Amino acid sequence: MNVLKQDTDQTEAEKNITVQTSRFGEIIVDKERIISLLTPFLGFPESTRFILKAHSPKSPFMWLQSLDNPQLAFVVLPAALTGLDFRPEIPRQILKELLITADNDKDILLILTIPKNNPQEMTANLLGPIVLNSRKKLAVQVVLDPQKYDPCLRLFPAK
Amino acid sequence: MLILSRKVGEAIIIADHIKIRVLENKGGLVKLGVEAPDQVIVHREEIYLRILEENKKAAMDSPDDLSMLSDVFPLQKKE
Repeated sequence: MNVLKQDTDQTEAEKNITVQTSRFGEIIVDKERIISLLTPFLGFPESTRFILKAHSPKSPFMWLQSLDNPQLAFVVLPAALTGLDFRPEIPRQILKELLITADNDKDILLILTIPKNNPQEMTANLLGPIVLNSRKKLAVQVVLDPQKYDPCLRLFPAK
Repeated sequence: MLILSRKVGEAIIIADHIKIRVLENKGGLVKLGVEAPDQVIVHREEIYLRILEENKKAAMDSPDDLSMLSDVFPLQKKE
């Protein structure tokens, strides 16, 4: 009995890891929620493990926090919530590597660039969106056709 | 930098498994054919740099708190 109990405790402890981040301080991460990148983001070769952190239950904005670089965090927004008709063709090879077999496994996240003092000028990167298999926790930034997609599309154009 | 001259139809091989062949040279436009394993990612340089720059900008600029975004913008998650 004792042996069994010890095993259970150990499993509990191994379920989570503690990670330092500069934005959120020390965070406890359930290993099952860690998203692995097939290839790192261009410009950040050291980061392959990320976690999606909702800003608040109601907000569509999320943080994609690196677990390998405490300072690296992107603000992302699911493309489906932007109101944009953004349904890019994802190369079959990439879908295969992400183990995406059905359309509902596939989530597309847009990386936002938000000027610090001027959030209404935020732009979304449609040229390099993130394709995520939320079930398998695999993701990659894909590079689409620059003739069709804007790397800094303003989400809330001035009226 | 290693500089090699190639005619149309000729190729270079990089590290045993990447082959780049000159397919066509017409009016200043050179067409290259790249054969590489699936995990080798090939980009046009200017697009690679564009994405890299935008990634860096996104990572640098992000605000400390996203609360004001939700207040200002009419995006709501569907319940």
